[in-house]
Amino acid sequence: MPEGSAARCRRCGVVLYQNRAASLVRVTAFSLTALILMGIVNTFPFLTMSANGIKTELSLFRAACELIREGSPAIGWCVAMFTMIAPLVMAGGMLYVCGPLLFGRAAPGARHVARWLGHTEPWNMIEVFLLGVLVSLMKLGKMADLYFGVGFWAFAALMLCMAAAVAGIDRNELWDRLEVAAE
Amino acid sequence: MNNPQKFPSLPRAIDHGLANCEVCGKMTQVLARRCPRCGTALHLRKPASLQRTVALLVAACVLYLPANMLPIMTISELGNVMASTILEGMVEFWHRQAYPIAIVIFVASIMIPIVKIVALVWLCAAAAGKVRPSPRILGRIYWFTELLGRWSMVDIFVVSILVALVQFGAYMTVTPGPGALAFAGVVVLTMFAAMSFDPRMLWDRLEKMTATESPEPDTDHE
Repeated sequence: MPEGSAARCRRCGVVLYQNRAASLVRVTAFSLTALILMGIVNTFPFLTMSANGIKTELSLFRAACELIREGSPAIGWCVAMFTMIAPLVMAGGMLYVCGPLLFGRAAPGARHVARWLGHTEPWNMIEVFLLGVLVSLMKLGKMADLYFGVGFWAFAALMLCMAAAVAGIDRNELWDRLEVAAE
Repeated sequence: MNNPQKFPSLPRAIDHGLANCEVCGKMTQVLARRCPRCGTALHLRKPASLQRTVALLVAACVLYLPANMLPIMTISELGNVMASTILEGMVEFWHRQAYPIAIVIFVASIMIPIVKIVALVWLCAAAAGKVRPSPRILGRIYWFTELLGRWSMVDIFVVSILVALVQFGAYMTVTPGPGALAFAGVVVLTMFAAMSFDPRMLWDRLEKMTATESPEPDTDHE
């Protein structure tokens, strides 16, 4: 199948297989960028709020931690899973699998990592979290002064990078390449 | 293609003992037990797919009530304690004339969970042969349930953001309510329900319906 084209199901018309252009290079580049951005998101302030002279700061880590501390550990762990652990596994896993594939090699244990990638994908919810930030801003709007930090912009960029990395490669293509490289 | 009667009868992998790996998509003889490429256990169809999906849906329906009736967060402001449910949060935005946000909350927190549960129930009914919808619509609905379910988490994230940000001691604090846990449960359970549903059951049923004139031995679903 030529690069950039797709095959569709004869029953329901859904795309079966896509041969995406420059897929490995794209996935490697975007997942590496995503990992760097994750570092930035977690080191720089995300959102600062000041009311009556008191300042509070939001970070992904704090959003999960405060819930665990305030007596909802189950939701806290869900939030940590959906906004930090799943994206980290996704970006790290994609880099680990696709990086060596660029040179025609399969990294040790690449097929286990690739299996986990498939399981983790639906639980990566950074774009939903960003919508949550937007709704929260509207809720807090008149109550206090809010400042966006570097972390927030890095997070927005992270969302785009993750989407681009996930869209960069078709599952079948990834596995075909892994199979060829492993031989 | 809107009429199940005109549905083209195509060769199926199951008739040849071939299984499509659920993880990597490789087609292998099911007798191999494990996928030679990625090592996942092979099934012709996801095991007990209908039962699992229905069980998870029932659990989600049960949790749906406390999720909407109990407060998802409590705001204590200068000693005044105010608990708000998902619906109250939306109505508040509406009254403040923040219509786009009210609509976002309505769609993500109220409409999507209901539509998703109804859609999955309907897909289960179609897989069990209780309803006979067109194949094209079935494909669309399955795609919709897989794609949109996660957006319902937005309200949980709002609670987590507010709890982390609004910590001003006696002046104002936000704490998570019991409804949040139930709501997160609904979203996670419906996501698992959509994952455990095997859409191939729909096509099996369709195949059986078109082949009712010439009855063939029942295929074993593993």
